[in-house]
Amino acid sequence: MQLYAILRRSGWRSGADLEVAARRSAQVGHEEMSTEVRWIRSYVLDEGRGGVGTVCIYEATSPEAIRKHARLADLPLDEIVKVSDTVIVRPDPTPRPA
Amino acid sequence: MQREDVTAVAAPGQLLERADELGQLQESLHGVARSGRGQAVLLAGEAGIGKTALAGEFCAGLGTTRVLTGACDALHTPRALGPLLDIAMQTRGELARRVDAGALPGDLAAALLDELRRGSPTVVVIEDLHWADEATLDLVRLLVRRLNAVPALALLTYRHDELDRRHPLRVLLGELPRAAVTRIVLGPLSAGAVATLAGPYGIDARRLHERTGGNPFYVTEALAAGTARVPDSVRDAVLARVARVSRPALALLEAVAVVPQRTELWLLEALAEGDLGALEACVASGMLRAEAGAVGFRHEIARVAIEETLPPDRRLALHRRALAALAAAPGGQADLAHIVHHAEAAGDVEAILRYAPRAARRAAAVGAHREASDQYARALRFADRLAAPERADLLDRRSYECYLTGALPDAIEARQRALAEHLLLGDRLRAGDGHRWLSRLAWFSGETATAEREAHRAVEVLEQLAEGPELAMACSNVSQLRMLASDVAGARHWGTRAIEIAERTGTPETVLHALANIGTAELQAGLDEGTEKLERSLRLAQEAGMEEHVARAHSNIGAIAVYQRRYRLAERFLEAGMAYCEGRDLDSLLLFMLGWSARSALEQGRWEEAEARAVAVLDRAGAAVPSRVYGLAVIGRLRLRRGDPEAWEPLDEALELAMQSGELQRLGPVVLARAEGRWLQGEHDLMAAETERTLALALDRRVLWAAAELIAWRRRAGLAVELPPCPLPEPFHLELAGDVAGASAAWTRIGCPYEAAIALLSGAGEPGLRHGLAEVQRLGARAAARHFARALREKGVRDVRQGPRAATRSNSAGLTRRETEVLTHLAGGLRNAEIAQRLVISEKTVDHHVSAILDKLRARTRTQAAAEARRLGLLDR
Repeated sequence: MQLYAILRRSGWRSGADLEVAARRSAQVGHEEMSTEVRWIRSYVLDEGRGGVGTVCIYEATSPEAIRKHARLADLPLDEIVKVSDTVIVRPDPTPRPA
Repeated sequence: MQREDVTAVAAPGQLLERADELGQLQESLHGVARSGRGQAVLLAGEAGIGKTALAGEFCAGLGTTRVLTGACDALHTPRALGPLLDIAMQTRGELARRVDAGALPGDLAAALLDELRRGSPTVVVIEDLHWADEATLDLVRLLVRRLNAVPALALLTYRHDELDRRHPLRVLLGELPRAAVTRIVLGPLSAGAVATLAGPYGIDARRLHERTGGNPFYVTEALAAGTARVPDSVRDAVLARVARVSRPALALLEAVAVVPQRTELWLLEALAEGDLGALEACVASGMLRAEAGAVGFRHEIARVAIEETLPPDRRLALHRRALAALAAAPGGQADLAHIVHHAEAAGDVEAILRYAPRAARRAAAVGAHREASDQYARALRFADRLAAPERADLLDRRSYECYLTGALPDAIEARQRALAEHLLLGDRLRAGDGHRWLSRLAWFSGETATAEREAHRAVEVLEQLAEGPELAMACSNVSQLRMLASDVAGARHWGTRAIEIAERTGTPETVLHALANIGTAELQAGLDEGTEKLERSLRLAQEAGMEEHVARAHSNIGAIAVYQRRYRLAERFLEAGMAYCEGRDLDSLLLFMLGWSARSALEQGRWEEAEARAVAVLDRAGAAVPSRVYGLAVIGRLRLRRGDPEAWEPLDEALELAMQSGELQRLGPVVLARAEGRWLQGEHDLMAAETERTLALALDRRVLWAAAELIAWRRRAGLAVELPPCPLPEPFHLELAGDVAGASAAWTRIGCPYEAAIALLSGAGEPGLRHGLAEVQRLGARAAARHFARALREKGVRDVRQGPRAATRSNSAGLTRRETEVLTHLAGGLRNAEIAQRLVISEKTVDHHVSAILDKLRARTRTQAAAEARRLGLLDR
């Protein structure tokens, strides 16, 4: 398993749409692809009039596993980047549990 | 406590430090019992580490669960299907019937699986696979593949330290999908465990652990040896123990030692000349183990140690007695390998010459070709003692078996010797056939000139005789060489001749080979009548039940069609071919076709499908499978195009694999993918270096699609290119001639959207570049999008938009690809559960999609949504 960062820019019209998508994402990841992807965390992006987007951190077996997850959960996917290291300088200000 | 009792201490029920592994086995078995789906466990470890002991311990604790066990032979050339013969004796029934009838591994695997369906669950143990013959390995491969469908646990043991890189078992293990098997490696005993065993004997436990390395067998033998200091090797330990037994017992041990594995009692009687008095003592002391009607040493190590130290005359005498007894035994077909073993050890040349060929034929009949080849070689060592005709016949057979096992140089050598014999005997028929075989072998070895020469020589020789099957095959062979040289006229001429002779002489197999050669030649040249001939050849093969030929024909047509970018034709044959292979255990051809279908999807812009297929190839093709290259090339290319991470890893692995064979068929896709990658990443120098040799090769072989693409990449990278005199495929020709719009249109006609876009970068104006950018964004080709964006900026364009994501294809209601799929099924009247099954997603996910659809279409019910979708023309056709 490798760590990947996934960009989903302006993926949804509103926070409500995103919440629905998040439930799908969790369900697909947990029920159908539990050995292939592990959702670690996400930051929700304020895209202004473009709605909301996310930066997601996933552990996955391959880039294709991430794409498959996105397909099954119907999530947009702009870019996948491999994460080689995690450097935590300070804890997140107000983390919201999923 | 007596030293001889040490085996009782280490007896079953008291296995030290194997609780974890035992637990793993038990858990696997519970899993099988619960789910009804079989599993395979590979148990590996060095000799003497206790694999058999663990297996025995596990089975002993199984209660009423059915257990079937078989073991592979420690002979130079093992019995064909040895372990299966053991198992058949336990199951009897259909399996035993098929074994007696000499069935092939495929049918035997089917019968075995039927047996395994009966218990719930059943445990099958096959030991010492490092000694397995080829037919057994085939069977194991089939068994593991199909195990999922029966409630059985297959426990397979082997010595992993005895496998070098080329060992057939290593290759098999490399082919097994990782998910299908659990691997357990047994390690040595800890110092503490050794101390536990050594405790009662007052021997230095630390020295014992050091010397034995914790090897359980070595430890127990050392303790039983009764010497003051720890013996230097396990062999010394065994011999020290033997040194203390009575004379009658020693005689018995020596007799048992010359028979590999175990010695049946009747045979022991013959070897010991009736004196079995000391047998009970030997068994009681633990030196020998008794099973049903036979005795054996506790471990092969002990047997070998004793056999090797026998005085030569005693050894010879025992082997001679064993040979005589086995040869005289009634109905001992399965013992041919053993007879040969003793004949060789006894130096009885006559016996070797009598039995080795028989053993070879038996092995060949059940598909154990390596063993057949070995046995023929064994007989041929004394070739000068044979009459010339028999010698020539054995050489021919040996050559054939070598060919089947891929040992080409040996096959050629044997065939040349056979040919010399046939010429001396004046047997022109066999000589002519020999030339044909040499032609084929030369071609497989990459020696085209020799292949041509021998092919024509074969025809010359056979033409002088009356027409017969051999002449037909010789003509077909020439037609095949002409086809491979892209000579349509030659392929037709010789193929037609072959067909005429074959029809006159009643050789249908040659008819279909020749038809396939002509058809392939025509198809390669772009002549459509080729397809008709290939289909006819296919039908004939199907009628004749020649399964491998049918599958191969599908895959050849499919591959050629993809290569020529004739995708509809390709998909017709690839889909049919894969379906054909699925039920028939033709796995390697199935994977080959799956790889090519992945490439076909990639080239047509169906990237999600290409991804799924390529991933499937990699999941099922272990490192030792040639078709893995195709899966890696597609995945690598997709990652490059999408800008996904780890793009070069699969391409590096693919390059290494492709270079092993050096064949253009495999090198092509890899080098092309890498060339594109270098261009996408602006690494022009690397591209130049990496493509030079392959381009030369492609031009030399007139593999023009590949050559043209390589030239195009080099030109796009700004390298100077030399256009070859021959006409290149249209879209490349147009681009290289400067007609960029024409090239793009040609690609669109062929059905390659990505290529159609890329061509535009070689000189389109702003509108063309904008169009190209939109296209690559639609496909999700982020890397190419950057090139377009840069090209547009160079033209002074400022507003280079990001554009819609690949996941959202544009249609008026803003439905995603997935939503459109679901909507189409929904409009067709399917319920959520059915849609879920059709798309292989969960029902909940379907439900979410439906909600989104209703939302986007502003409909309140599914019916409304369907109606609205039809009105807007949104449904898939």
